[in-house]
Amino acid sequence: MTRRQVAIVGIGQTAYGKALPGTAWDLALEAILGALADAGLEPADVDGICRFAPPFEPVSEPQLVRALGLPELRFFAESPLGGEALGAVLAHAAAAVTAGLASTVVVYRALSQSRGGRFGRADGRGPGSAGVPDPGADVVVPEEDNRSFAWPYGLMSPGQLFALWARRYAIVHGLTDEDLTRALGSIAITQRAYARANPNAMMRDRNMDWDDYRGARMISEPLRLFDLCLENDGACAYVVTSAGRARRLRDDPVYVLSATQTLSPYREPMGIYVTGELLELFPPATAERLFAEAGVGRADIDVAEFYDATSYMPLRSLESYGFVPDGQAWRYVTETGTGPGSPLPVNTHGGHLSEAYLHGMNGVLEAVRQLRGTACNQVPGAEVALVGAPAGSAMILAR
Amino acid sequence: MAVIPGMTELTAPYWEAAREKRLVVQECLSCRRQWHPPLPRCPHCHAAGPGWRQVSGDGTIYTYTVVRHPTHYAFAGKVPYILAIVELAEGPRLVTAITGAAPEEIRGGQPVRAVFREVADGVTLPYFELARDQGGNHGTA
Repeated sequence: MTRRQVAIVGIGQTAYGKALPGTAWDLALEAILGALADAGLEPADVDGICRFAPPFEPVSEPQLVRALGLPELRFFAESPLGGEALGAVLAHAAAAVTAGLASTVVVYRALSQSRGGRFGRADGRGPGSAGVPDPGADVVVPEEDNRSFAWPYGLMSPGQLFALWARRYAIVHGLTDEDLTRALGSIAITQRAYARANPNAMMRDRNMDWDDYRGARMISEPLRLFDLCLENDGACAYVVTSAGRARRLRDDPVYVLSATQTLSPYREPMGIYVTGELLELFPPATAERLFAEAGVGRADIDVAEFYDATSYMPLRSLESYGFVPDGQAWRYVTETGTGPGSPLPVNTHGGHLSEAYLHGMNGVLEAVRQLRGTACNQVPGAEVALVGAPAGSAMILAR
Repeated sequence: MAVIPGMTELTAPYWEAAREKRLVVQECLSCRRQWHPPLPRCPHCHAAGPGWRQVSGDGTIYTYTVVRHPTHYAFAGKVPYILAIVELAEGPRLVTAITGAAPEEIRGGQPVRAVFREVADGVTLPYFELARDQGGNHGTA
């Protein structure tokens, strides 16, 4: 539906860090202004905004309209469920442009975990939190999203949930602990090596070898410290407009070939996964739709940026998006790998594990740089890129 | 201090049964299919007013993780603990924790059996322990 009708014409970001000066609002403005400048546009050109819904995205449309002095926003939409919004926000922006509801749509994600709750903490503790009112009192878990059937047992954070996924993978495919460690470690170490060449990456100065990886503490077995994403502050933004306008603005627009969102029973991110096979992250039809609408095949994808809250997600995403047969990715990442020169380089910016965590948005920016030919770890001649979340929310972009 | 489930009209029967050391799941009074957690209607035939069915408490470990780093202050003194998704003999799955076993003992597919622990005044949670004497057969709860 969206094939080559719209394009990403500007990208912007802040620095990434454990604790940046400025609120999420400040960071969002910096990233958005950067994206508009990159596109050669003015804030007054913006008439649409698509964003991650609260509570994930803390910066609202009215805050942006006021602070940027936007004359009138005539299209704005929010996508729920965290990482599930990654492809959805682009799908909405593309649909708005093709339907004539807006001409210039900003998509953004701002995060200040140093001032709000850390995603790795379930109790809001950490820098900037209000603390715990009465540590002796019972904690009553609201029923919302079935949390009351998980939290009382201590299943409270993404890392714990994704440990259950990774263990299920090992059970179903008969992996030993060592098989699984080698697979997850291969991903973590490969991504760290990419980050070492990326000046924006938080882990650019931190080498990691197998001893470092294996020696790190277990968080939630089988996931060790370096299997989990970073927690940080930062913001990313990009600008979507029609293909014709994009070509007038710059020589190297990045076209949207397709974008998906998907939801099926008990497959929402951070759900409790009580029906179906836990390994099935989203219906296989979703990936087929993503490729069919784009009009490309797996072999056409030159580089993939997979949402990686943990190292398990790129592993299973290789299978779920159809690049590697089910049950084979653990071997594939150890034997073939996803590093420079591999058939499909993955998370060439370092990903959430080693660049920064921005709910997948930094992966979109990296895909754009790859297709412009300006990435730090440039895949030679990259023409088509896939950005995908484990929840099936994804996009295929092309130059 | 404990982390306890908030109760709603929809979920209270589950926790009230647990307080009586019974494990129950919702069952459609029309098509007799069962599911968990509770829903306002049968997700299969959409009949209103689902009932509750006591289940055996027998199941197998579908997947698990040994949590060694607490992410909530309420669990700071409780690591390591073994989180699991258990598949009940009757079909539905639930999130739970395994008690009375060492982390090294746990394997996928192991038979387990429900046990009940009062975690706060009037609040009992179903946990599971390894069914060491049953060799995978489903006995009575």
